[in-house]
This record gives sequence, structure tokens and C-alpha cells, in this order.
Amino acid sequence: MFQYQFMQNALIASLIIAVLSPCIGIFLVLRRQAMIGDALSHASLAGVTLGLLYGQNPVLSAFLFTAVSGALIEYLRATFRRFSELILAIVLALGVGTAITVISSGRLTTNADQFLFGSILTVTTLDLYMIIGLAFLSFIMLTLLYNQLLYITYDSDAAQLAGVRVRLINYAFAVLVASVVSMMIRIVGVMVISTLLTLPVATAMQLGKGFKKTLLWSIVFSVIELIAGLILAFYLNVAPGGFTALLAVFVLMVVLIGKRVLANRQRRKAESV
Amino acid sequence: MIDVQNLFFSYTDAPPWVLKSLDLLVQKGEYISVVGDNGSGKSTLMRLLLGFLRPTRGHVHVGTKNIGYVPQRRDAMIDHGFPITLKESLTAYRRLKSLSAESVSDVLNLIRMDQMSDHLMGNLSGGQQQKVLIGRALLGRPDLLILDEPSTGIDQASQKEIYALLLDISKKIGTTIVSVEHNLEAAVTNSTKIYHLHGGSGHMCSPEQYRDEYLTKG
Repeated sequence: MFQYQFMQNALIASLIIAVLSPCIGIFLVLRRQAMIGDALSHASLAGVTLGLLYGQNPVLSAFLFTAVSGALIEYLRATFRRFSELILAIVLALGVGTAITVISSGRLTTNADQFLFGSILTVTTLDLYMIIGLAFLSFIMLTLLYNQLLYITYDSDAAQLAGVRVRLINYAFAVLVASVVSMMIRIVGVMVISTLLTLPVATAMQLGKGFKKTLLWSIVFSVIELIAGLILAFYLNVAPGGFTALLAVFVLMVVLIGKRVLANRQRRKAESV
Repeated sequence: MIDVQNLFFSYTDAPPWVLKSLDLLVQKGEYISVVGDNGSGKSTLMRLLLGFLRPTRGHVHVGTKNIGYVPQRRDAMIDHGFPITLKESLTAYRRLKSLSAESVSDVLNLIRMDQMSDHLMGNLSGGQQQKVLIGRALLGRPDLLILDEPSTGIDQASQKEIYALLLDISKKIGTTIVSVEHNLEAAVTNSTKIYHLHGGSGHMCSPEQYRDEYLTKG
């Protein structure tokens, strides 16, 4: 199947996404902001529809709209300090409102459904270059900001005292999330972006490791799930996003059950001694 | 080291004041315990000293930027399943402060936890977690150490160990310590002075004065 150009493009894009998404997802999960991925994925759909409307590359327009929405979330955080869930409702309304308005206007010449569910066929070579470029910039940003992001997530006060510019880094992180979400929209689709940002991390956290090892295991789970999802979706002729999400839930269940079985076995062993 | 003059603070920038007409002078090398009832403004004063809040009126001057801060354990992410080892929590912090790798091993030796560096923070006992938070605050040898209720929720044995460590730091290294305290016994025993906050205002007294005026009278 990899003799096809579209499958080669999809495979490379999936590998990049599989490595990058847990690197962002781990901070979202630990900041209790898993649902931000959901709000921003809807914002990215609005970006896609605007890109299609004005004949621009949808990955780029998704990135721009999502980055602005991410920055808006950070800006609104100061206004709605005690009702932070309202921020997500506002961004969701902006994204979904824009997308539905554009789609229902009948002015789109391309079908936007493929961005809802993801599609193997839609990753063009230009999209791939765009994804590689965004991934390169994201990796550089992540490497530079790794310690700052870790400490803002772990203990924001301590980070501030150590001289970290918390607000500025949070804005940079919002752009990073936007970048990864806009890369994911082609392959996995809007509906399951937040699932894939968070589930491999949730699975890795069950292993009880430190931060670096949890991140590495998240990447391992993410790569297995996305690549297996891509290949199986090709043979089953279904959308890769939905199937990959199912695989992610399946792997999480296997790890949870395995953990329980191991704990029971150890408990019985301890009781017998 | 710390000079606070005629400080007024309110979260709404208007009365009622959380802190009012407050003066505080702390000399280098002193060990000050800040005591007072719940809601007396202890934690607010601490956050003003740390620069996390700005005074509504008045003046807060802290004579160093090299400050170590030990938050309340329940405010740190330790107990919330955060996947981080003891060593990771110290190493990432020393990188933020651009300190040498040896500073982490020095601190691990000081808090006597060098054998536990790969343990997850969430798997440590309350006392051990508190020692790590103190160790982190000591990275880079701060001139001023600010602590928020260092013994809350910690067993007696660990409390003794923690206060012995703080006294050691205060006497041997000469670090200035300001500790928000619920443990009045520890405040009287360890501090050079006690700052008593009541109704948003405060006054400084000796541990002996505080014991006579407030503790023995019940």
C-alpha cells in the first residue's frame, strides 16, 4: 500500500504528528486543560473553511486561526479567572460559529467533511511540506521551552520566582498547540484531535514513571496507535481518525487491566509470604 | 533585607483592606515567624514579599532577588499524580536558574535524600516531600528563604527534622528566613523574632514576649 504517493504522505505526516502530539498533550493533561485541545480543534475547522473559502492552503489557515484562538484563550484567562470553563465555550462558539456560517453559505467548492473525520487521501505534497515546516519550528520551540513549560505546569509560582515569564510562555504554548492541532486536522480530523492529544499520555501515566519516561512512553503509544490506525483504516476503508481513537481507547483499557492484574498478583504474593 | 512601610493591600484595590498600615523590618540573618489567625493576611503578606502581588498603597522593599520559596505542600502539584521524580523536579529548576549540576547533588546531600533521587514525588511521605520543596528553594543558596506553613500535614518526626534543617541553614549559612507558621510551638522555639498579624495589622515581638502574651494566657 505504501507504493501510493498519498499513503507515503499520510505515513510521514502521521509519524510527525504521533511524535509531536504527546509532547504537547502531556502539558495539556497535567495542566488539566485537556478540553482546550477540543476547543482549538474546532477553531482549526473554522480556519480550514476560511482557507478553502479564500483559496488558501487549509493547513496554513487552520494554523493562523487556531493560533489566534489559542492566544485569545490566554487573554481571556485573566478576565474569567474563576470561570475558566467559560473561555472554552467562547472559543468553541467562535470556531463552530465561523465554520458553520462558511459551510452553510454554499460558497465552498471543496467538501469540508474530510476535515471533520480525517482522510488518508487528502494529504497533498504541499500539505506535507507545510506539516514538516510547522513540526520543525514546533520541535525547536519545545526544546527551548522544555524546562519553562515543565515548571509552569508543575509549580507556576516557583517558575515565576526563578525568572520565567509565565504569561509570555503561556502565549507561546498556545501557538504550539495551534501548530500541532492544525497539523493533525488533515489525518485525524477535528472530531478526535483532543483524543489523540491526551489518550496516549493518559495511558503512559498509568505506568507510574517520571516525567521524561512518561513522555517517551506517550510517544511510543501514540506512534503505535496512529500508524496501526492508518494501516488498518486503509484496509478497512474507514476514516483513520475515528479508528485511531478506538485503538487509543483499546490500548488504554489493556494497560489499565494489565496494571490491575499485576497489582493483584503482587498483593497475593505478598500475602502468601 | 526586608523593609515594608505603611503597606495597604486589598484584592479589589479598595477597602476593606486585607492588610492595613503595616510595617515590617527584617534584618539579614534573622529567622522570623509570621503568625496569626486564619484570614489575618499571612499568605497575602508572603505573596507581596515574593512579588506575586503589588501593594495597593505603601512600600515593599526586598533587598535581594535571590529568594527561595517553599509553598504549602497542598499548593504544589505533588499530590495530584504529577509524574515527576525528585531528581527531575530539582534538575529542571536548577536549569531555570542556570545553576551547575553539582548544586542538585549538594542539595540532595543536605536534605539527606540522595538515595531517593529516582523516586516519584507523589510516592514520598509528606515530610520527605516538604524536604524536597525546601531543597529546591535552597538551590542557588538564596539570601532569603520564604516558607508557607512548612509543617502543615506532616508527622512529628518529620517536623523535627525539617525545623532542625531550617535552624541549621539559618545559623550555619546565615540565610534570612521568613516562615508563615501555624505551628506556634515551632515559631516560639526556632525564631529570632515573631511577627504577629491581627486584623490586617502586625507587630514584631520576641518569642518570649509572644509566649507570655498569647500562648500562656490561652
